[in-house]
Amino acid sequence: MRQNIENAVINIIAKHKKLDPSVITNDALLVDLGLTSLDAITIMYDLEEKFDVEVTDETLLELRSVHDIIEGIAGLTSGKE
Amino acid sequence: MVKSVAVTGLGCISALGHDVNQFWGALCNGETGIRPLTNMPLESLKIKACAQIQNYNSLHFFSNEELPYLDKFSQYAIITAREAIVDAGLEAAEIHNAACVVGTGCGGKETDEEAYQKLYKEGKTRAHPLTIPKGMPSAAAVQVSMHMGISGPVFSVASACASAAHATASALAMIRSGLVEVAIVVGTDAPFTYGLIKAWEGLRVLSPDTCRPFSKNRSGMVLGEGAGAVVLESLEHAKKRGAPIYAELAGCGMSADAGHITDPSSDGAARAIKAALDDASMNPGDVDYVNAHGTGTKANDVSETQALHQVFGGHAAQLMVSGTKSMHGHPLGAAGALELVATVLAIKNGIVPPTANFTEAGEGCDLDYVPNQAREKRIKSAVSNSFAFGGLNAVLAIRAMDGA
Repeated sequence: MRQNIENAVINIIAKHKKLDPSVITNDALLVDLGLTSLDAITIMYDLEEKFDVEVTDETLLELRSVHDIIEGIAGLTSGKE
Repeated sequence: MVKSVAVTGLGCISALGHDVNQFWGALCNGETGIRPLTNMPLESLKIKACAQIQNYNSLHFFSNEELPYLDKFSQYAIITAREAIVDAGLEAAEIHNAACVVGTGCGGKETDEEAYQKLYKEGKTRAHPLTIPKGMPSAAAVQVSMHMGISGPVFSVASACASAAHATASALAMIRSGLVEVAIVVGTDAPFTYGLIKAWEGLRVLSPDTCRPFSKNRSGMVLGEGAGAVVLESLEHAKKRGAPIYAELAGCGMSADAGHITDPSSDGAARAIKAALDDASMNPGDVDYVNAHGTGTKANDVSETQALHQVFGGHAAQLMVSGTKSMHGHPLGAAGALELVATVLAIKNGIVPPTANFTEAGEGCDLDYVPNQAREKRIKSAVSNSFAFGGLNAVLAIRAMDGA
């Protein structure tokens, strides 16, 4: 499941920003990938739909890196497996 | 002295084609763009006829990266604004400080309805984050400004079927006041969404077959879609840069019936027409051609004819009056822009587009409606009427440019 989440997060960011998924590392900062706040909420919308989770506004504001997103989604999906 | 304002660029997308040349060619041939409705669940719709843009593929105009931000009404607005700006020969630096006014009656209905479908019907609990920025009524104005690099006054005007004419009037005022030298005016609407068609069905003004303005057997309006755009600039600015000039936008007149929400008032319409003539310093006897609002509804066509008699008196019998909605349908907020393009080209080319689908004159419709065949005729001055639900009226007066 963890691997699924990692792949989904990276692929959705790559698709949204037209990036090669291989250049998106877990420790990459969202700002360095060129994500604006509108990009971030759009990507989060896709992830919420995919994993049927709800990310709070407070959590969204704290996300800085790809790793943060993966951890956040993993936390919300734990127990759903 | 009031500044003269020139029309220097045109753009169109409609059921009559994807550009101005196709639009004008169809109008001159009296070809109608009204066809059976497609891409809709027909079994649950009473309305079968419409004026849809044919063979439209958004990827011909926009990239995959751009499209998620563009409702159809924004796409049409950008396509026509771009065509008009290229037609006017304006470079990026020359439109940087320009104004852009976009008239729309509906806004981003496709976007709104997609969101509502998911929420109400599919039981989703969240809306897509782009629902607001893509669907807001000002989205088309925003997107034209972003795509074309227009950073002067940019805003939307909404007055239903008179939106584009009111937008043109605001742009005219801005140029006359000296606020801007150049303004791009767009009228745009993309009303072919299930909910909106159902809403129009509810009003019982849509024709089951076609649009026959001023005819005895007229059966209502036919919804259309698309956009029209014009570039306006001060005559001084246009001359200084050696721009091709189509015609002069000589004046505008606006009024509100302050009466009924749907029934038109001939007095309100007449006041707007008279105001446009006064603003343009035109005498009724100067006007050769009227591009009518001419929706093909029972109420409009009689009321509009009465208004023309009221303003033009004995000269009304000399007027050529055509209802081009018989060809491009009624694209709501775009109508006034497409009709302004038609009127400007009628003046420029000396050809009056006809009222297509005309059978025999309806009761109370006793003018020369240029039935079915375009007419070669030199036009010195013309007016274009737009009358919206709620009695919001906007009329534009256009004059041939001497030596143009």
